[in-house]
Amino acid sequence: MLEIRNVSKTFNPGTINAKTALDNLNLTLNAGDFVTVIGGNGAGKSTMLNAIAGVWKPDAGSIHIDGTNVTGMPEYRRARFLGRVFQDPMMGTAADMGIEENLALALRRGQRRTMRWGITASEREMYREKLKMLNLGLENRMTSKVGLLSGGQRQALTLLMATLKQPKVLLLDEHTAALDPKTAALVLQLSDQIIRENNLTTLMITHNMHDAIQHGNRLIMMHEGHVILDISGEAKKKLTVEELLEQFSVASGKQFASDRALLS
Amino acid sequence: MSLTTLLAAMPGAISQGVIWGIMAIGVYITYKVLDFSDLTVDGSICTGAAVCVVLMINGVSLPIAMVAAVAAGMLTGLVTGLFHTFMGIPAILAGILTQLSLYSVNLKIMGKANQAINARNYDLLVSMQKLRNVPFYENTIFIVLLFSAVMIAVLYWFFGTEAGCSLRATGSNLNMSRAQGINTNFNKVLGLMISNGIVALAGALLAQYQGFAEVQMGRGAIVIGLAAVIIGEALFGKIFRNFALRMVSVILGGIVYYIVYQTVILFGLDPDLLKMLSALVVATFLAVPHWKNKWFAKPAKKGGTDHA
Amino acid sequence: MKKVLALVLVAMMMLGSVCAVAEDTTYTIGICQLVQHVALDAATQGFRDAITEVLGDKVVFDEKNAFGDSPTCATIVNGFVSANVDLILANATPALQAAASASYDIPILGTSVTEYGVALEIPDFTGVVGYNVSGTSDLAPLDQQAAMIVELFPEAKNVGLLFCSSEPNSAYQVKVVAEELAKVGITTKDFPFSDLNDVAAVTTAACEFSDVIYVPTDNTVASATGIVDGVCRPAGVPIIAGEEGICSGCGVATLSISYYDLGYATGLMALRILVDGEDITKMPIEYAPNFTKKYNEEISAEFGVTIPEDYIAIGAEEEAEAAEEGETAEGTEAAEESEPAAE
Repeated sequence: MLEIRNVSKTFNPGTINAKTALDNLNLTLNAGDFVTVIGGNGAGKSTMLNAIAGVWKPDAGSIHIDGTNVTGMPEYRRARFLGRVFQDPMMGTAADMGIEENLALALRRGQRRTMRWGITASEREMYREKLKMLNLGLENRMTSKVGLLSGGQRQALTLLMATLKQPKVLLLDEHTAALDPKTAALVLQLSDQIIRENNLTTLMITHNMHDAIQHGNRLIMMHEGHVILDISGEAKKKLTVEELLEQFSVASGKQFASDRALLS
Repeated sequence: MSLTTLLAAMPGAISQGVIWGIMAIGVYITYKVLDFSDLTVDGSICTGAAVCVVLMINGVSLPIAMVAAVAAGMLTGLVTGLFHTFMGIPAILAGILTQLSLYSVNLKIMGKANQAINARNYDLLVSMQKLRNVPFYENTIFIVLLFSAVMIAVLYWFFGTEAGCSLRATGSNLNMSRAQGINTNFNKVLGLMISNGIVALAGALLAQYQGFAEVQMGRGAIVIGLAAVIIGEALFGKIFRNFALRMVSVILGGIVYYIVYQTVILFGLDPDLLKMLSALVVATFLAVPHWKNKWFAKPAKKGGTDHA
Repeated sequence: MKKVLALVLVAMMMLGSVCAVAEDTTYTIGICQLVQHVALDAATQGFRDAITEVLGDKVVFDEKNAFGDSPTCATIVNGFVSANVDLILANATPALQAAASASYDIPILGTSVTEYGVALEIPDFTGVVGYNVSGTSDLAPLDQQAAMIVELFPEAKNVGLLFCSSEPNSAYQVKVVAEELAKVGITTKDFPFSDLNDVAAVTTAACEFSDVIYVPTDNTVASATGIVDGVCRPAGVPIIAGEEGICSGCGVATLSISYYDLGYATGLMALRILVDGEDITKMPIEYAPNFTKKYNEEISAEFGVTIPEDYIAIGAEEEAEAAEEGETAEGTEAAEESEPAAE
């Protein structure tokens, strides 16, 4: 479903700030894979997601989604393959627009934006049903501006928007990191539910090792711009945090360095 | 100055206010909807005026001249848009560059700095001549209000369509827009074209109203436009929440601005103080919402951050 | 509510009638000036002086300045029309255009306007506008400026014409002067520049071609006389200027009009309309009543030009007046002004 072949990316090349964020990265996701991604600071997790999303073009390598080479495709064009939820709750929704308007924008992802009315009565009903599932009471304030919602509500809405139109690949970039623990748990549980119900191919970055082990069918660990650990199936189910840390030091020859991962 | 004079001056002040209000709707689209501080308008208002006037004195009919003026305005927006998206020039600088080049372009269009359009020689749509003693359907106030009503209706429809919604999303959140498959660069250019088309329409109306197009006529237009937007918001923001009504409030803002301006001029204040006064008017209206928040705010019902 | 409305109405009517009574004995004149500028200020002053000398306190001037913002002219004249003034003085072209659009019956006099045919968009202009507009033009007689070149530089064969291409009045003046010079067998060549940045380069090119350079009344050159002087004097090419401001900066000699006199002449026209009841629709456009041949002492001495006796050194007149101050407080020559009109 998703294939990353030999992708490299260096930021600020030729300067003293040059930073190799992705170094010959290879990763293949099969349809229905729910992959959790962990790794230390600057391991290249978010960079990988941005490469898939097309925020910029990689220096080398190619990216294929469902058989289509998207390497040179601009971000807005490959959006039709992707659902994205960002770390910052502000990033995923249009604050000046209503809840239903945001959903309507998401429903039309990958379509030409025509002169037809931007939101129809029938889809409104569908939105109401979907919002009910979130259990946040948003179905009763569908015309409210998204800017009035809390971070958790916005993240839940973004999740709904990312999956409203079934994506080939769902990209979750530490989407619970900015939320308080209770809300984070709720959003994560929602994500799990939606992903399972729709059998979505998913890449989820998390800084929480428990979450990484608990969710998904496969776990990858990144270090210095490439994958150093790839565990799936039964082996993943049995993993513990200690083992994970141990495996990290073996694979990288270093201590796992993440300010947040160890605390949580 | 007597009250009668002030009242007699109102039709003129209102007409001028509505024309600048139309221009301010163009500013509203870039400044508020698209979140793009576009300085092209100082030049494109004159482009609209120049194209309309020059075509008319060369025998082109009024409707075609007006349409051409709008098209020319849209072209100026296209240039600023390409400067910004294709060439990667920051928004404000892109607008300034277009504005600067438009000074030359406008001179070339007119062939000189000032071109008259004499209401005696043409059947103009609007004119200071048509403020009184004409049937209501020829009255300039009626015409400019009709123009704004039609324009607001069309814009309201457009911003409700899929394309219009994606434009609003572009102004609200670039990241989200791209993630939802919206071509944000295209939308920025489109928004700038719509905005400057409207500004040029206001220019074409203004030239007819005052009887001439002049290369300097757009100087400071952006300030008047912003003033109208801000005054409208300060006075009517609480009642007018719907998108169409907010555009109405921009027109009303333009009218209020010109009523104040006309009164100031009628009172015969020192001309040296005029510019300062208009700045003060803008500053005052800008301060109103700030003060309201600071001193008269009820304990705000905040969107809880805990319950999710 | 109705009572309040009625009261307001009555109050308005009373105010209106008071105004009506006042209008019987005095005249109200609205003055709309485009921008504060020595030349335009002088014209306005001349206009007021001419009228005040005759009518004294029986005239009220409502003087408004648009501060360089041309659309404000429309706001100002809208006020005049609403106040139903007896006459409007429109000082500079946009003021005239706005006034002409605003009223078809109030007499409108223009001043500091160069060409009425262009300003009011009248094809084949004959000198009489034919409706409620007339006034004075600030055009210096171009044939006499051409004659001055021949008078001071009889040897000149090639004359360069230096001007700003975006100023319509400059292009017009240059064209007329070129025609005049062609009549006496002098070759001319245009040296237009588009803005201040090109002045030095274009002036250098002009110096290579020319025996003498002619500069018309041109606002852009007026603000760049230092640059022009810096190129022409070392190159040894003298300049004849269209107006005094440019001449005092870089020229040898000029033919000068006084904006005060121009305004004064406009004031006399106003008196003919208001007091004598003359029909403005039949009044032709008038020109500055007299011209003065002036020369720049320093520059002409450097070029060794022999200045005929009827020329006055720039500045000399003001010094003479300063000496006489107190005796001739008033009069048409009280305030010689020399700057070009801003249009």
